[in-house]
Amino acid sequence: MFSKLALRNVRRSFRDYGVYLLTLTFGVCLFYTFNSLDGQGAMVFLAQNGNPIVDSIMIFMDIFSVVVAVVLACLILYANRFLLRRRKRELGTYLLLGLNQGQVSRLLFLETGLIGLISLIAGLALGVAASFGMSALTLSMFEMDLSAMLAVNFSPRAAAKTVLYFGVIFLLVMALSGVQVSRAKLIDLIHGERKNEVLKPRPLGVAVFQFVLGVICLLAAYAILLVFGMALAIALPFLCFPMLGLGTVGTLLIFRSLSGFVMKFVQGRPGLYFKNLNVFTLRQWISKVHTTYLAQTVVCILLLLAIGITASSLGLNSTLSAMAGGEAPFDITVQNQSGDTELIDFDAVLREGGFDPDEKLAWSHDTLFYYNEKEITGIEDASGAITVSDLDALLTRQGKPAYSGSLPALLETLEDQLTTGNLSLRCVVVPDEMAEQLEVRRQVWSADYAGENKGETEQQLLQLVRPLYEKMSVRPETRLSIYGDMMGNKILALFLGLYLGFTFLLAAAAVLALQQLSQGADNTGRYAILRRLGAEERQMKKSATQQVALAFLLPLALALVHSAVGMKAANDIIFTVGKVDSAASSLITAGVILVVYGGYFLATALACGRMAKNA
Amino acid sequence: MAEILTVTDLKKVYGKGGSLTRALDGVSLSLEAGEFVGVMGPSGSGKTTLLNCVSTIDRPSAGSIVIDGKELTRLKGRELARFRRERLGFIFQDCNLLDTLTAYENIALSLSIIRAPAQKIDRRVREMADFLGIADCLDKYPYQMSGGQQQRCAAARAMVTHPALVLADEPTGALDSKSSQLLLDRLDVLNRDLGATILMVTHDAFTASCCRRVVFLRDGRLFLELHRENDSRKAFFKKIIQVVTEMGGGMADVL
Repeated sequence: MFSKLALRNVRRSFRDYGVYLLTLTFGVCLFYTFNSLDGQGAMVFLAQNGNPIVDSIMIFMDIFSVVVAVVLACLILYANRFLLRRRKRELGTYLLLGLNQGQVSRLLFLETGLIGLISLIAGLALGVAASFGMSALTLSMFEMDLSAMLAVNFSPRAAAKTVLYFGVIFLLVMALSGVQVSRAKLIDLIHGERKNEVLKPRPLGVAVFQFVLGVICLLAAYAILLVFGMALAIALPFLCFPMLGLGTVGTLLIFRSLSGFVMKFVQGRPGLYFKNLNVFTLRQWISKVHTTYLAQTVVCILLLLAIGITASSLGLNSTLSAMAGGEAPFDITVQNQSGDTELIDFDAVLREGGFDPDEKLAWSHDTLFYYNEKEITGIEDASGAITVSDLDALLTRQGKPAYSGSLPALLETLEDQLTTGNLSLRCVVVPDEMAEQLEVRRQVWSADYAGENKGETEQQLLQLVRPLYEKMSVRPETRLSIYGDMMGNKILALFLGLYLGFTFLLAAAAVLALQQLSQGADNTGRYAILRRLGAEERQMKKSATQQVALAFLLPLALALVHSAVGMKAANDIIFTVGKVDSAASSLITAGVILVVYGGYFLATALACGRMAKNA
Repeated sequence: MAEILTVTDLKKVYGKGGSLTRALDGVSLSLEAGEFVGVMGPSGSGKTTLLNCVSTIDRPSAGSIVIDGKELTRLKGRELARFRRERLGFIFQDCNLLDTLTAYENIALSLSIIRAPAQKIDRRVREMADFLGIADCLDKYPYQMSGGQQQRCAAARAMVTHPALVLADEPTGALDSKSSQLLLDRLDVLNRDLGATILMVTHDAFTASCCRRVVFLRDGRLFLELHRENDSRKAFFKKIIQVVTEMGGGMADVL
């Protein structure tokens, strides 16, 4: 009997409390996706190359998963409390019929368990899909083509962790519902109908003033950002704090006063004011502003963060890649710091170890750097010297024009392009014959691998170079390791941004949706009056949808304006270094944000429309 | 005079099979334009069911209701909503006004619902508010007004669309005697000066005494009809009390 009742109640929840299930499912999906990172292509690739960053990413994810779990737990408890409040009367009836409180608790227990099971399964299924999408996104960030690493994978470890965390949350929900039921008095449950909030008249003139003030605040904040540029505006506290403060206050004021401002505007236009149920819709909006404007401001800021983080981390990706090209011109560079005492014959060392340089290396070059001597070169502020033929060999390999300046001369900007990894020498370029008078300072051997399997070649090469460490100061740096470090940092930042961004987005959207649903239920009495007055069903549904749309779309609209200004400023920086070529990935991520947010909007609008129809 | 409302042999049966409840068991009634008719009867006599059927909120099981030449029982969906908003006005005991709208907007809303031209709305709202003595509280919200003002505002909302028939369900039920008197006085004026046809359900003899005619229902049937003719209100009130006592007495005899 109980399971049948529970089953029926859950079926009803599907229809009436879609938002609750949606929140649970998205929560599970999010949690799984970010905990299954270790199986995703990008991480597998980094791990294969022995990059330590993989471990730190996983540790970070573990730590933040706890934070996310706490946020989700609070959200689910809030949603559950809200649902229970809605069902007070029903629960009261059970008690009145003679069920004892233990039995009612058991009923709720079963229901929560069932809902939990459904959302876990749906969430994990969605999570596997999301994890695939995420994998595609991160792989597309790499310079090289790694599409081979892309595969659908299911991580049992992440799934188990998700089940464990959410199991605990659901147990908590069950326990709390039980406590609430056992503490409730029957009389309160039976007369559980909630009262409408008391409305205070607020003159519209104040709203108009607040709105204008809000717009001025926002314009000031935009001006600071655009005039000083993003770098300065964020780095300098006396610019940063006023900008953020003005932006937040402006947003808050606009959400608080927009309804009044629109009302004032519409009142002057009887054609609009008295059309359909406009008066009703507007007044409903105004009367709810004081309960929703804070949530709307928070949602707006979270949307801004979500959009901003994604767009800039993807944009930054191109910038960093451009910089990486400068930092790592060759596949490998081995610097022999003890070059002044002993030189290494790399060719011999490799052949001795059974590594055929002719076959496995596409190119290699041994460069000598000399001590700069003022008496000979005539240049004072330099710590090293390189011959022009060596310089030309290195530049030509990178497809750059040979050196054409005067000799000897200080190398101004080319130092970065001589080695993979830092050279940390300020060099003078000298004619070859002048070098014979100088003393060798450092031996630098650079090479590019041949063939496809660069990772393997690198492992073999490093294996042979490693024994040299014992005798002298030798430092190898490879393009793959530099690249891996950079990608790791970038992925870490992106994942953390997305993880937290989505969690807060989810929380904010769910809170907004629950608020709207609760208001929709309060409105049923009003819709009943409208029906008696002869309003058509279609009109009432439209009005209900409009009210939800105002609550959901205004924060999104303002967030888009904010991020458009923010991106304009951010692009000014990004464009100076690199170019934004990840438009596709940005669009996909924006799309996912819209799907989550839009899903909440649709579920809420449908439920509220239904409430108006059945009033 | 033309007949506004004709109810013929109206039946409403609740329940199925053996346990039938006859809420209305063959009620016939007709109202001429400009009449002010009260419906009285004890609880369970079918007054509210009658009003619900006439106001198209409920559907009768058998019989016909003709308002202004239109057969109600044949109307459906949107037609019904349209008929309701254009031909009927409602005054109820409670949950009358939309609490988020000002008095002015509450009255104007019923005009927007019948798609009255926007330029005329303001004038019509103010005229009706003057008439009902609530011109000074048009900018107030319902909770800022007294119960009597609220109910007069509801009356203004019901009348502003010039409906063929105004239906009032216990309009004075929640009011103190002074506010009741004021409201009834206004309804009377509306009836006399504007020629509004009003059908009012009440169980209060004093309220009923301001009608021109009172119909008594018992157990779903028409029990008696009283006409005020040229009686003073006091005399009419006495007659009504007499009938009410008789109805109660009849019940006592059975017991």
